[in-house]
Amino acid sequence: MVAPPSTGLQQALQAVVQSVHWTYSLFWQVCPQQGTLVWGDGYYNGGIKTRKTVQPVEVSTEEASLQRSQQLRELFESLSSGEANLPARRPCAALSPEDLTEAEWFYLMCISFSFPPGVGLPGKAFARQQHVWLTRANEVDSKVFSRAILAKTVVCIPLMEGVLELGYTEKVEEDVALIQHAKRFFTDYFDVHTKPALSEQSASNQFASADHALYHQQAPIMHQMNMETHASNQEEDDAHDHNEDYNDDDDDDGDDDDDGDGSSRSELKGMRYGVDVSMHHPAVAAAEEEEASELMQLEMSEDIRVGSVSDCSNNLDVEHMPDGESKKERQDHDFSKNWHFLLEDLGNGFGFQQSLGTQVQDFSSEDAHYSETVSSILRHNMNRWVDASSFSYLVRSHNSAFSMWSCKRDHTVSSQGSSQWLLKSVLLNTRDRHRKLGDGRDGEGGNKLQKCAAQEEVSANHVLAERRRREKLNERFMVLRSLVPFVTKMDKASILGDTIEYIEQLRRRIQDLEGRNRQQTSKRQCGSQVGNCKLDAQRRVGVSADKRKLQVLEGSNGMATTSVHVSMSEADALLELHCPCRDGLLLDIMQTLHELGLEVSSLQCSSINGVFGAEMRSKMKEAYGRRTDIVELKKAIHQIISDH
Amino acid sequence: MPMISSNPPSGGNKAQQQQQQEEMESSTQESPLNPNAFTFDLPHPVYAMAFSPSPFAVASSCSAVAAASPRLALGSFVEEYGNRVDVVAFDEDALAFRPDPALSFDHPYPPTKLMFHPSPLPPLLASASDSLRLWHLGPETAELRSVLDNSKSSGYCAPLTSFDWNDEEPRRIGTSSIDTTCTIWDVERCAIETQLIAHDKEVYDIAWGQAGVFASVSADGSVRIFDLRDKEHSTIVYESPRPDTPLLRLAWNKVDRCYMATTMMDSNRVVVLDIRSPAAPVAELQRHRASVNAIAWAPQASRHICSAGDDGQALIWELAAAAAAGGSSEAAITAALEGIDPILVYTAGAEINQLQWSAAHHDWVGIAFSNKVQLLRV
Repeated sequence: MVAPPSTGLQQALQAVVQSVHWTYSLFWQVCPQQGTLVWGDGYYNGGIKTRKTVQPVEVSTEEASLQRSQQLRELFESLSSGEANLPARRPCAALSPEDLTEAEWFYLMCISFSFPPGVGLPGKAFARQQHVWLTRANEVDSKVFSRAILAKTVVCIPLMEGVLELGYTEKVEEDVALIQHAKRFFTDYFDVHTKPALSEQSASNQFASADHALYHQQAPIMHQMNMETHASNQEEDDAHDHNEDYNDDDDDDGDDDDDGDGSSRSELKGMRYGVDVSMHHPAVAAAEEEEASELMQLEMSEDIRVGSVSDCSNNLDVEHMPDGESKKERQDHDFSKNWHFLLEDLGNGFGFQQSLGTQVQDFSSEDAHYSETVSSILRHNMNRWVDASSFSYLVRSHNSAFSMWSCKRDHTVSSQGSSQWLLKSVLLNTRDRHRKLGDGRDGEGGNKLQKCAAQEEVSANHVLAERRRREKLNERFMVLRSLVPFVTKMDKASILGDTIEYIEQLRRRIQDLEGRNRQQTSKRQCGSQVGNCKLDAQRRVGVSADKRKLQVLEGSNGMATTSVHVSMSEADALLELHCPCRDGLLLDIMQTLHELGLEVSSLQCSSINGVFGAEMRSKMKEAYGRRTDIVELKKAIHQIISDH
Repeated sequence: MPMISSNPPSGGNKAQQQQQQEEMESSTQESPLNPNAFTFDLPHPVYAMAFSPSPFAVASSCSAVAAASPRLALGSFVEEYGNRVDVVAFDEDALAFRPDPALSFDHPYPPTKLMFHPSPLPPLLASASDSLRLWHLGPETAELRSVLDNSKSSGYCAPLTSFDWNDEEPRRIGTSSIDTTCTIWDVERCAIETQLIAHDKEVYDIAWGQAGVFASVSADGSVRIFDLRDKEHSTIVYESPRPDTPLLRLAWNKVDRCYMATTMMDSNRVVVLDIRSPAAPVAELQRHRASVNAIAWAPQASRHICSAGDDGQALIWELAAAAAAGGSSEAAITAALEGIDPILVYTAGAEINQLQWSAAHHDWVGIAFSNKVQLLRV
């Protein structure tokens, strides 16, 4: 069927570019359906950033260059084959995007370019059937030559059914001899290379194994078909939109005004089923691949040869390689023809991901979006880089404020405030600041997580502190209550009030006592023993009278010699007792309290002049399902006292 | 005497200074001692700073500055409603600042960011605080051109933390706000182009990578890239290693747009990311002794970045090609582990809060600390 002419083509390209020592050579082929020029083959002879070889053995320069071109090709395919669901193995010597120089990147991009006749340099050359020599390619308008990054001199020579393009990163003046020279290389090979592009595509696609499986499910591929040179980002944007929206079935009918694709697309669809394509099936791993590849070819065959720029170089992080495909096979001619499919793949790839019903779908579709974004940025990057070398250096002036770094430097400014205080203030406190300083507009929206969390923490601390304070206060009030003899009510205000009265009484009493003391000492000095006794008796009487008074004051029950006072608050009870002494009284009281469920925590008792005074603080517990109350306790105590 | 560890009281600094001055070739603390740093004092602290995009002819009555002089807009940072933006030109020949009071204006709330229009004409300055404002720096005076207010019916506009002016599509300004959204404005129509809920928490910074692509960082600790062509999806390219550590600043390399850098809260690291390999930073620059406050990529070189922090140092780093290539070689891997050293260093006298690298004048870097602004010659 199809002889493998492209090997010859590639060899020719290689020979040409090497003989003239230029940077690259491309062959643009005519695509019959579209009548545009699309990528045929290429040979990159330019600077290489890194070399990755499979074997450690040194290969000759020629072989290395050949490998390089192949590697670039592989890279392009791998990038363009969409987010394959089968993470395929790539040879370790394969290139990854970072390895390329900018020129190489650009060379890669060229794979996706296409030129209608008359448009762009190759287009012009083809239309005129005359060579075009552009010397200062990097300075011309992008309409004339949109790929200026790659070369400073570009020559387009129409040859056979396409255009040979040679490029060089140096400026070379026009030289017809060179053109003749170049042409000579191709005459030999081009005799063979007469097949229309269509039949070339009949080779099965070997590389996108997983994608193939999907193709038969695929709805008619909606592709943006840009007939123009893709020089602007705007077009790329459109293409992106279309690629992404393909599933929605409305993309193409959308804003394609500048392309007028509708008709051509339907045309293509019509052609799809009418094409009789002879298949070329090299050994492929799965039967489904074959089937899928057939279908794909059907679709491919009429579909875009005209790739939009957006189709290429995406999915940079995809590692893809067809199953069972060795590198050697890929270097096959079949493979080299399959670049056409790439364009389809690219467009399809994103769409296909969305058609998958598996959980991989989300992942891959997001990645697809992201990779498009990244690829557009990269493309843009390259467009801006005229001369890469100028960007590598930072010129440090001789009178620079900066000094060279040395490891010994360890002087730092001691930061007085917290870390990043101003930055944090700018970013974190904007809401508060605006609320505080503004017109009192209240902010509702936004996320208050940070603020709330801090507030909660703080308030939690406050709650605990408050509780502790209250407890302390209560305890002290209890103690005060117990010290003050005749508090009637239990509320804090009356406790304090009674305490005040008590203190005043005590003071008066002190004064009295002191005064009496003075009297008596003076009286004693001038009195006799009798007087002493009398005085003593008086004193005793006075004292007891005082005591009595005190007792009267203290006793709430009115009885002169016995007083029982109980006060309770919550679970605490305070018992004050004055009664005549007797043996075993205390023991009885303690027992009774125990029976009543009171757990004595502190006890003060005294026996003065036969009067037993006790003060007990106890905690109340539930006994027999209920607690004792004041009345009951008083009764019990009185009982004890009166029992004896 | 160990000089690293703790923060000595200010009294002990002098001994340290003397020792270090013997070690280092240039002076340390005081800027007057460094002949290539030029200081401008202000009566208030400065945070927001912007360089004018390209040589601007200052036709002001008070100075006859050469046409090609860097021009700065300085925003005050005062915890009050009334703040101020000053416009100052720097005479490169005389090496002196020429403030332009005619162009200075009052500003409501401290501006969190200032930025000039990417092209010199029209001479517009944008500022962000409670909303985005555009000021026209006319020949005689500065006037408020428009207020881009995000408020809906509620009348409340969430304060803006930052914004970025798209240099490829100067009609677009993207703002980031504490209400977790990023808003894209069309400044010619003064209308919102689109509004995205970008993150789960407050968005702290935003940077354009392309006409329709921007990235943002947030308190949720992620760097996300958004593509306006596909607003449904965003991609997380980095997340802070300790969850929910806010990322405070973001800078996208305008020369080589594969790279961007970000800083974290209370962290002395500058994390450099490659958009082609998300989730794995290309490099972590960790030579600062205190938290990093500001970062700026070099406007003319593809692999250089400057960072400044609380340690009072401004460091210029060169990302090696190996690091840029993704760290495939062993040398790159070790460099990634230990961190690379910066190539240049400048020491200011206090915590540096702001850093800007002039795109128009590649050899000038502006820093702000306390009440001063310094221009450093690179």
